[in-house]
Amino acid sequence: MSIATTSPRLFSRAWSALLLVILAFLIIYPTGMLLLGALTDANPVIDGFANMQLSLGNFATVLANPTVHAALGNSLLACTGGTLLAVVIGLFFAWIVVRTDTPMRGFIAATGMLPLFVPPLVAGVAWAILGSPKTGLLNTVLASMGIGFRFNLYSLSGIIFVFGMYYAPYVYMFTASALRNMDPSLEEAAEISGASAFRTMFTITFPLILPAIVSGMLLSFIVMLGIYGVPATLGAPANIPVLTTYIFQLTSWSPPRYGTAASVAMILMVVTGALVVIQQKVLSGRSYVTVAGKAFRPRTLRLGPWRWFTFALAVIYLFVVVLLPTAALLIGAFRKFLFIRNLEALFDAKQYSWLHFDRLFSNPATIDSIVNTMEVGVATALIGGVLAFAVGYTVARTQAPWRRAIDVIATVPVAIPGLVIGVAYLWAWIGLPGGFYGTIWILALAFVARFLPDTVKVLTSSLMQIHRELEEAAWLCGRGTLSTIATITLPLARPGVIAAMTLLFVLSIRELGSSLFLYSSQTMVMAVHLLGYYEGGNFSVTAAFSLVQMVLLAVLIGLTNLATRSSAPSDAVGSVGRAG
Amino acid sequence: MSAELAIRDLEKVFSTGKPAVDGVSFTIAKGEIVVLLGPSGCGKTTTLRCVAGLEHPTAGEISLDGDLVSAPAKGILTPPRARNIGMVFQSYAVWPHMTVRQNVTYPLRTRGMTRAAMTAAVAEALDLVDLAAYADRPVTQLSGGQMQRVALARSMVYAPRLLLLDEPLSNLDAQLRLRLRDDLRRIIKRTGLTALYVTHDQQEAVVLGDRIGVMQDGKLRQMATPADLYNRPADQFVAEFTGAASMLPCRLVRREGEFGSVEMADGRRVEAWMPGAPAIGAAMVLAIRPENALLGAAGGPNCFTARVTSLRYQGTQTIYELDALGGRIEALELGTAARHAEGAEVSLTLPPALTWAYASLP
Ligand SMILES: Nc1ncnc2c1ncn2[C@@H]1O[C@H](COP(=O)(O)OP(=O)(O)O)[C@@H](O)[C@H]1O
Ligand SMILES: [Mg+2]
Repeated sequence: MSIATTSPRLFSRAWSALLLVILAFLIIYPTGMLLLGALTDANPVIDGFANMQLSLGNFATVLANPTVHAALGNSLLACTGGTLLAVVIGLFFAWIVVRTDTPMRGFIAATGMLPLFVPPLVAGVAWAILGSPKTGLLNTVLASMGIGFRFNLYSLSGIIFVFGMYYAPYVYMFTASALRNMDPSLEEAAEISGASAFRTMFTITFPLILPAIVSGMLLSFIVMLGIYGVPATLGAPANIPVLTTYIFQLTSWSPPRYGTAASVAMILMVVTGALVVIQQKVLSGRSYVTVAGKAFRPRTLRLGPWRWFTFALAVIYLFVVVLLPTAALLIGAFRKFLFIRNLEALFDAKQYSWLHFDRLFSNPATIDSIVNTMEVGVATALIGGVLAFAVGYTVARTQAPWRRAIDVIATVPVAIPGLVIGVAYLWAWIGLPGGFYGTIWILALAFVARFLPDTVKVLTSSLMQIHRELEEAAWLCGRGTLSTIATITLPLARPGVIAAMTLLFVLSIRELGSSLFLYSSQTMVMAVHLLGYYEGGNFSVTAAFSLVQMVLLAVLIGLTNLATRSSAPSDAVGSVGRAG
Repeated sequence: MSAELAIRDLEKVFSTGKPAVDGVSFTIAKGEIVVLLGPSGCGKTTTLRCVAGLEHPTAGEISLDGDLVSAPAKGILTPPRARNIGMVFQSYAVWPHMTVRQNVTYPLRTRGMTRAAMTAAVAEALDLVDLAAYADRPVTQLSGGQMQRVALARSMVYAPRLLLLDEPLSNLDAQLRLRLRDDLRRIIKRTGLTALYVTHDQQEAVVLGDRIGVMQDGKLRQMATPADLYNRPADQFVAEFTGAASMLPCRLVRREGEFGSVEMADGRRVEAWMPGAPAIGAAMVLAIRPENALLGAAGGPNCFTARVTSLRYQGTQTIYELDALGGRIEALELGTAARHAEGAEVSLTLPPALTWAYASLP
């Protein structure tokens, strides 16, 4: 009856080794190739890898290049400004929703999350339609009212504004949960010792949730740093380069400057990596804020008549980030001509039609891009879901060897912006024979790698909720590991598995940064196609296509919520904003 | 069929360093119920999980009917699924995505039984725990006590060689706990299973166990029948843990076999039972349960005068705190009326067989 210990140990070694090989293939190999690319002046397409010379030349050139300085400076400025704006808005909303008696707090909290679901490219398009200096809808309205002031979203402040508005929910999520989990007696103690409500807020409440604020701040900074859609739509017309747009430019010159692009990408990755490390450090110091497993009833501050003031601010925010852009896209998509002479013309029904949708769908490339995107999405969701479950289960539930290493490698992509993954995969595959580059599989694998940390996190947190004894009971009943996973773990983790797979699907529909480097004419995806329309100058069709994407995303997210019969786990919501 | 369990020198050291189980040895005969009793953190659960195969011991041997299942020195470690052991977890671990019947049928599915045999076995198990009427309910609609019985039925349905229970009653309210602990013993005895039961509750241990093992800091202090445990505690920890409230310092002056005389701080001598072979003159501790300190009975050995310093009236009983033998002794008397007032002089008798002296811990 005794079973020797050697065979299971051998099996778990082999299993861990297999996972490590897969992760190395997906993450370490491309990153290594990126580094190699940054250290060589060869062009992998023309020269192959045969006559490669290692040198720091690229870094020297790049660091001496004034455009890189400008791009780096613009990136830092845009992200700092955007982050500060996001913190102010996000923290304020967290406080309103969790700690005050502002009317309709639940509604504000729910709609306030909507911007997270809007792809940055679509947000950029909507705000270009609203705020381009000459033809922007807002400026048309101002002009027809005889006001001299003009908005100009084609500027650094425009980018900062859109970043701040759309990433405020990130900061909100972090700070709201910290506020909610704070022991109210800490504040009561301050007030009993004689502090006023405002003094308490600034000396007790905010310092206690500081780790959450800083963490949310760093996280939004990191995400903004890697975003391509917003600077491409708002920065490009005014010739404001940032790191992401500059990297793409380098690869679209002829001949493409792949080596230089790789070294700028390395710089972007190093900056992001450093920030991620700091963020993890800050997060690990948060333990004194939240008391695990205890649910507090947060104190609410009675604002009296001021609650209508806070309510009005919330309404203004929602108007600006939800209603205005949606209206802009609708008007852009359905009006025959975007140029609007005056306010009456805006409401002239004869001006509206399905014309641009007809034009959009009469282009066969559009349907192709939708089909491609769906294929990539399904492939990413299936491959990524299975891999993330394997990684999450191995790390959280088993004693398999090397699981720390597996965990660390699977987390690394957090620190790699999408665009950098794109450049890395380009370097990893473009020079290799076999034709893998240019298929939808390279897109899917890049997405799997890019979003592995988010997927693993969602799956792990749902695995953590399954009491270990539920599995142990099955082992004692005579089941092996695989049979236990199939009959007990998977059925119980189903909502998490569905959430993780939809998350992957949604993220891969939105993803633009890495797709830019990996698509071919046969594998054009929606986000790239949309950018093409925008850069071709056709705002109306761009708006129509943006609406199509938004509807697709909304349907998808709605279906998942139905399938899991609950709102998606909060981890999943938080991750949605990461792609773009 | 039910088997004999033998544990020899079991040791489990977690990465944290201090052993959680430290050299535990005992055997359980076929059909016997043994209870491991001890304060929280003493290593009961870890011992149980080592027997189940869920935890890998760092040293020692565990065998079922002479069949080694854990022996790290020999590289033997039978996985839990191959041990044919049943276990009731502290959290019950009933699977929430299945009905009562599905839960109980689950372990039978891999045992190559015919459908009819499975149905019969499940029906019998559900009958045993009185849940036949609930067979097709989702388990999420059951009360805590019912879930506990589902867990019990599930662990017994395949007639395992050994049944393990980890504080199965600790998540229930007090009323239910009293009823279920009587039920539990009846059910286990009826199936004739060998059982190892873990609890921190003395009452539960006494009612359920044929023998009780008291654990402290990973060590097994004593394993004995309930009566022996209460009348012959093997050391000071066991005496104190099972309820000896009064501990007085003393010195050994004379010893004859298991009995001897100790000299108290006030110079008086007390006849007492003592385990082991302490040396004359050794520093000792005299341990007395409040129930064994008799008030007022005069005559015979160990009769002393004492003064009541305070009393705690508890409705159906009164606990007197006495100043005697150079220390404090608690005495308990049943009855709704307190017989002595504060400050009263009373006589105190300590029956030598129920007065225990232990070598002082260094
Ligand atoms: N997985 C583990 N890792 C480290 N220490 C553990 C682990 N499980 C239990 N321990 C430690 O072992 C000791 C005994 O624990 P346990 O057997 O659960 O006690 P009991 O069931 O008697 O309350 C405790 O000090 C506990 O902290
Ligand atoms: Mg325990």
